[in-house]
Amino acid sequence: MSLYLRQIGAIVRKDLLLELRSRERMTSMAAFAVLAGVLFSFSIDTATVRPQDVAAGLVWMTLVFGGLLGVGRTFHLEAQDGAFQGVLTSPAPKDAVFLAKTFANFVMLYLVSLLVLAVFALFFGLDVGQNLRWVVFVLGLGSLGFVALGTLFAAVATGTSMGETLLPVLVFPLLVPMVVYGVGSTDRLIAGRPLAEVEGNIRMLGAFALAAVAAGAALFRFVVED
Amino acid sequence: MLTLLGLAGLIFLFYLSFFWVSTEIRQGIAQRIFYVHVPAAWTAFLAFGISALCSGVYLWLRDDRLDRAAMAAAEGGLVFATIMLTTGPLWGKIAWGTYWTWEPRLTLTLLLWFIYLGYFMVRSSTEDPEKGKRFAAVVAIVGALDIPFIHLSVIWFRSLHPEPVVVKPEGPSLPGDMLTTLFTGLAVFTVLFLGLFLFRYALEGLRAEADLRARRSAA
Repeated sequence: MSLYLRQIGAIVRKDLLLELRSRERMTSMAAFAVLAGVLFSFSIDTATVRPQDVAAGLVWMTLVFGGLLGVGRTFHLEAQDGAFQGVLTSPAPKDAVFLAKTFANFVMLYLVSLLVLAVFALFFGLDVGQNLRWVVFVLGLGSLGFVALGTLFAAVATGTSMGETLLPVLVFPLLVPMVVYGVGSTDRLIAGRPLAEVEGNIRMLGAFALAAVAAGAALFRFVVED
Repeated sequence: MLTLLGLAGLIFLFYLSFFWVSTEIRQGIAQRIFYVHVPAAWTAFLAFGISALCSGVYLWLRDDRLDRAAMAAAEGGLVFATIMLTTGPLWGKIAWGTYWTWEPRLTLTLLLWFIYLGYFMVRSSTEDPEKGKRFAAVVAIVGALDIPFIHLSVIWFRSLHPEPVVVKPEGPSLPGDMLTTLFTGLAVFTVLFLGLFLFRYALEGLRAEADLRARRSAA
């Protein structure tokens, strides 16, 4: 078991190191998040809509679109120079490769989602205050579910001739539960409602994330086999 | 053979639903679309179920026949889901006063339709057919696993759709002739789907065989 964890750790370390040096995906996701916040601010007529009322939905949409930008390129660099063959021929089992890739993506997307929250709090004048811990937690669960599905289907999309353009078609229909539960709970938490109101939503979001990770770990081997 | 039987049954179903069955008192003549809508819905879900099941077993056994079955069923499912998604709004406009509403079953069908659109896009955009088969199977399985989540989440979101009128503990609440027409519809659509399904399945089998022969003669 510890070998399994070491294998995961090695791939996670490699991916994060690669990202730290190239800063390719994080930069594009972070820039996207901030710029989306700017555009969204201008897309709302504050005379008719209070920005706080729609902020939760916009946070999640930014997370989904920005996440797609970064997660879609999970295998891009490695596929380009054939390094992914090396990862696959290593003794690490395929589900360890998937879990490692998912975890590395999770770290990146979670950081971005916190940035998104900060940006929207700033631009929209949100007062998250008392429920901040829980909003951060909910964003974590959402990021986890998203990267699990995203990583699995990024591997699929990379293998097709359409590439990343296929990713939204594959992932968006599957993400509906995540958006429903995620926005539902974030919205109420931001509005300062008690936690008990959204407990069910958070549980479902957690179940969704776990199911996505489990399904990805089980099915990833069929996507990458040759 | 089954396809012909299904087509003949379709004419009979149209006769029943247009001329024979009594008109529903509150919704009037528009309610007759029910006898196409509900059977199409049932068939679409049956087809997607078969497709997901065959996909799962395909990844396990790697028998090409299973992949062909999954694809043939998915194609049928997409057709019947399209029927359901076109008759639904037509009826909805008259019964509910709106073409579209984010109602659970409607949303679920729309999302399923898109999941299977992805299924076919993945298949057609891979150069290596074996890879396409595996990718498509993964899409079908993840789609099937996601259904309970989608279902629960969209119910939680909102509901306007009528409650079931046939399968419930107290027994069916539909009048006899409507029930007869509905069950005729269900039977006809199922037969028609199975006919198309087997037809498509056999066609794919022939295509695979022709490919094999062409490759052999080329070698």
